[in-house]
Amino acid sequence: MKLWKKLSLAAVTLLLLAMLTSGVAVIYYSVEYNQEKTIENYEQQLKYTAYSMGKELETGLQAGYSETTMNSYVDFLVKKFGAANYILLKDGREICNLTPYKLAHPEDERWREEEPYSIIQNSEKQYILITGQRISVGVSEDYSLMLVRDISGFYEDIRRQALYSLMIYLCAAFAVVILIFLITRKLLSPLRELERAASDISNGNLKRRADVHTRDEVGRVGKAFNIMAEQIEEQVRSLEQESERRRQLLGSLTHELKTPMTSIIGYSDTLLNVNLKKEQQQRALYHIKEQCARLERLGSKLMSLMGLYDNDSICIEEVSMEELFRQVAQLEEHPLMQKGIKLEYSCAMGKRQVDRDLFESLLINLIDNSAKASREGDTVYLIGEDDRIVVKDHGCGIPKEEIDRVTEAFYMVDKARSRKAGGCGLGLALCSQIARLHGARLVIESELGKGTNVWVIFEEP
Amino acid sequence: MKTKILVIEDDCAISELICMNLEAAGYETVAIRDGSKAEEFLKGNDAEQIALALVDVMLPGKDGFALMDDLQRTQIPVIYLTAKDDVISKVHGLKSGAEDYIVKPFEVLELLVRMEKVLKRTGRSRQQIQIKNVVINLKEHSVTKDGAEVALKPMEYELLVTLAESKNVAFSREELLNRIWGCDYMGETRTVDVHIGQLRKKLDFHDVIRTISKTGYRLEDFS
Repeated sequence: MKLWKKLSLAAVTLLLLAMLTSGVAVIYYSVEYNQEKTIENYEQQLKYTAYSMGKELETGLQAGYSETTMNSYVDFLVKKFGAANYILLKDGREICNLTPYKLAHPEDERWREEEPYSIIQNSEKQYILITGQRISVGVSEDYSLMLVRDISGFYEDIRRQALYSLMIYLCAAFAVVILIFLITRKLLSPLRELERAASDISNGNLKRRADVHTRDEVGRVGKAFNIMAEQIEEQVRSLEQESERRRQLLGSLTHELKTPMTSIIGYSDTLLNVNLKKEQQQRALYHIKEQCARLERLGSKLMSLMGLYDNDSICIEEVSMEELFRQVAQLEEHPLMQKGIKLEYSCAMGKRQVDRDLFESLLINLIDNSAKASREGDTVYLIGEDDRIVVKDHGCGIPKEEIDRVTEAFYMVDKARSRKAGGCGLGLALCSQIARLHGARLVIESELGKGTNVWVIFEEP
Repeated sequence: MKTKILVIEDDCAISELICMNLEAAGYETVAIRDGSKAEEFLKGNDAEQIALALVDVMLPGKDGFALMDDLQRTQIPVIYLTAKDDVISKVHGLKSGAEDYIVKPFEVLELLVRMEKVLKRTGRSRQQIQIKNVVINLKEHSVTKDGAEVALKPMEYELLVTLAESKNVAFSREELLNRIWGCDYMGETRTVDVHIGQLRKKLDFHDVIRTISKTGYRLEDFS
């Protein structure tokens, strides 16, 4: 059963029970009270009548009437005090009874008490009140006066009243039931919204939020739920991005592998099956060797990139940047000289916490890139100051729309050119990865035809 | 005159590989290394002589799919030759009007055969093939040696044409059997040897049709 049904059912049951018991109790006590009051009234009436009748009887008795006269006198008295309601007893026998009833036990001792005694007799849907008392004033003889009244009307009233009460009770109960159901339903409707939102989210609609704005506990749950959904969406998105990046990396990797593979397979196939001239055979063998070398370079670059992606087996130590620059310059001097490019460096950085080998390879990569972009006779600058290092060249530059993408793995601005120069599109990806490991970032400024500045900017922790 | 093939491929090794094979098989090649240059070339007058274009998809400048319009304007049939082996690219390539789509890495023989098929379909195949003093007239299904007609049985003729269309490329006996007799043919590879023997005798091709050990046969000619 649903919570709102349970809650409202419990509330309804309890409320109805409470209403019922209190209603029954109220009716019961009002019946008791009214009955008591009625009896009291009649007893009072009886008392007065008995008193007055006692006085009159005394007069009659003292007058010394004959028995017949006495009987007539008594009849007269009873008639005078309310004919149809009284029975007069003497020594336990009816001496005057003008009521339509007959007393079953006139000799009963209860009617001979000084105070009135009442019973209610219930017969054939009639309620009859019988009250009796001894007439104690004036007379010395054993006279009792009985008051007999049909009080069915009183009970009829009570029954009608109870019926009305019951009807009112039922109407109220009906209204209450409906109201309680509506209210609990309304109060718990945010829960249903939460449920729908949760099922929507689990069906993949991650953008769904619960539309719950109440300020109660449910509202708080809703808020927490939305925060959770936000987090999940965020994480799923970042996971998707990550996997998309991996997919792209893998895609480019396959492509990068396929190109040399195509050449190698093609040339060896050709050598095996095709009748080639001597110099063509030489060319084919040369190409196979070249492409194998390219695969080998790709392999080692990838290995280092994977290594950097995966673990942090780097060894950070305090390194004098000036010394590092000098080493890099020495390493690069020869290859640059062969291309007719000069390298100038200056350093005003002092010591830094870096991995010597990785940082060296970062700088060498950047310088190589600059050298590839430069023309013969150009100069490449390596300048370090404060928290930044810049590698500057006056080469061909990078088109504006491609600057953001050059650090992606396998991205090459000029594929044909960089292939010829032995690149495989991993250099800058590697550099930015190394920079990230050192808490630095790579910033590239470039103007087409004028040159490129690549900054390595350390971000202070 | 040799059939001219346009090779648009940015990787110089692959470009040279294709050209080397096509030239050995008796085609003439024009190699272009990037998309924008290809576009320029197609606007020039030389484009009319091109019988077929082999186009890479990922090219610097204009990519292979974008070049399709220019190629169709000059009515050059196109075969895409690319590393992109996903179905979407294949469907896109073929739907845009390419005659065929070959995924790298490819086999030389397959490339040549597919090219031959496309050339035949588009009516651009060679009318005749000359090997030394022998001329194969593909239209009339006749073979002449020094001007005199040589009588060849149908299967011998088919075999000669197959070898000559991809000259300098070796065929295995199974391949020849499949292509000429059909893959349902239950005969032995000896059948091929017998027919090759007949061809050599009738055309005096003892040095031209060479037996390649462990592979099969190759028709060699560098003219």
